[in-house]
Amino acid sequence: MENEVKTMNKKSKVFSNIFMTCVIVWLLFPLAATLIYSLFRNWTEIIPQGFSFNSYITVFSNPNFFSALYQTVLLCIVPIIITIIVVLLALFVTTVYFPNLEKYVQMLCMIPYTIQGVILSVSILSVYGKSGGFLGNRMVMLIGAYCIIILPHIYQGIRNSMHAISMTTLIEAAEMLGASRLYAFFKVIVPNIITGITVSSLLAVGILFGDYVIIRNLSGSGTINMQIYLYQAMKRSTDESSAVIVLIMLLTFAITALVLYLQSRSKIEKIQKEGR
Amino acid sequence: MKNVTSAKNRNTNKYLYLLALLPFVIIVLLYELVPLFMLIVDSFGSDADKAVLFTLENYKKIFTTLGYQKSITNSLKITTVSTIVGIIIAFFGAKAAYNSRGKCRSIFMTVLNMTSNFAGVPLAFAYMILLGNIGVITQIGNLYGIEFIQNFDLYSSQGLILMYIYFQIPLSTLLLIPAFNGVRKEWREANMLLGGSEGTFWFKVGIPVLIPSIFGTISVLFANALCAYATAYALVMNNFKLLPLDISASFTGDIASKPKFGAALSVVMMVIMCAVILLDNYIVKKTTAWKTR
Repeated sequence: MENEVKTMNKKSKVFSNIFMTCVIVWLLFPLAATLIYSLFRNWTEIIPQGFSFNSYITVFSNPNFFSALYQTVLLCIVPIIITIIVVLLALFVTTVYFPNLEKYVQMLCMIPYTIQGVILSVSILSVYGKSGGFLGNRMVMLIGAYCIIILPHIYQGIRNSMHAISMTTLIEAAEMLGASRLYAFFKVIVPNIITGITVSSLLAVGILFGDYVIIRNLSGSGTINMQIYLYQAMKRSTDESSAVIVLIMLLTFAITALVLYLQSRSKIEKIQKEGR
Repeated sequence: MKNVTSAKNRNTNKYLYLLALLPFVIIVLLYELVPLFMLIVDSFGSDADKAVLFTLENYKKIFTTLGYQKSITNSLKITTVSTIVGIIIAFFGAKAAYNSRGKCRSIFMTVLNMTSNFAGVPLAFAYMILLGNIGVITQIGNLYGIEFIQNFDLYSSQGLILMYIYFQIPLSTLLLIPAFNGVRKEWREANMLLGGSEGTFWFKVGIPVLIPSIFGTISVLFANALCAYATAYALVMNNFKLLPLDISASFTGDIASKPKFGAALSVVMMVIMCAVILLDNYIVKKTTAWKTR
């Protein structure tokens, strides 16, 4: 009987590895193709020909590339900081003073999941697009839309890490030692959940980095991010755009690697703490 | 007496803290609730005559014009097929990750995380250089006369389905993997000791336990594919009938924008999404009735 269990386990393990390898190959194939395409001048038969870095040189010698990169980074950082502060404040008030309001905050934070980029951008455009002044400013509309689109991710990241630490106990302890609740929240709770905040903001960077539809609908022709730049490059030359994709992907991989590293580190810390 | 005043102070203080909720309320109101509300109101307006406040003509036009019917059916077809294929691959992928430990699993996880951001314009480009008109695989297919490659048309719903499946796989698998941790190894051994096969285990125990996570993932996949814009736009621009493309075009169209009509299209898309979510929830409720029994 036991042998039977073992052989069955082994069989399913082999099958599992084969299946995972297939998926890995399938997922990496387009990426690898783009990489090869960017490094060779000519690829019409099975073996590509004419290795060169020319397409990368073209990209790096274009000042528009750097301005797009700069605007992308700026457009990531500002909405993420705003959203983190706003969500932290909201969660502070709801968890400490008004627990019965928490479900409404949660509901409001989850709506963007279902409306997503297209509907959000066109609805904001139709409300503020024609109004002048501060709200009609394209940049303000764009940042507002970005705040909403990352809201579910930031909210869940922060709330999950709040649940992982025993927040009420920590705040009570700090209060007993004479700290105010607000002070306790920002000096005790926030440092404890900083990894969770970092991870969720990095995930948000990934989302904003890949945005095409919101910026296309909301910004005028002035603001371009990497995706818009890539789209324009596609119209110019395929070599150049393949190099741009490789660079975008390298950046996103770096972000993903950082997320995975931080997550595994916080897991190890948790195991160590619980072990003691 | 002193106690009473301090308690009172505390209460007023408590309500003072509601101010900290204000930034959240303002942002959500300005960029989520007001735009959504106005979108629904606008959908009953008329682009031709601004004085008309309530009319169903936009909706009538959507459901009676062949082109828009085509958009809805195309969107539904591509979304449904990519969701179903995505969830099946995700199920086996997550099951494989659950069965195995070690190097293959960690590479698998890394690749899933890496490729979860590979969608939109870059994905469309990668498929174009592989399967486009002068793509590498297309040319190889022509060279050796491989029929199904020659017949494959990337710039149609076939191609879109292929690309949508691609970006559904990492997302769905990453969402399902944590759920498999809820399937305990002891249940499996118990099943085997009682003479059940691998198949009986998954059909009688594994899948019923996983149902809520599976349908939760289906909702996310459906929303993800239904609203996907960049992948389709980069590939076919506005030359293919698809709901997100139509919506975007009616607001920022080159010829004339028709925001009220676009609003009605958006409402149709939101209704489809809500219907799928409600259906999902209903199925989960029905199929997990055994839990409360």
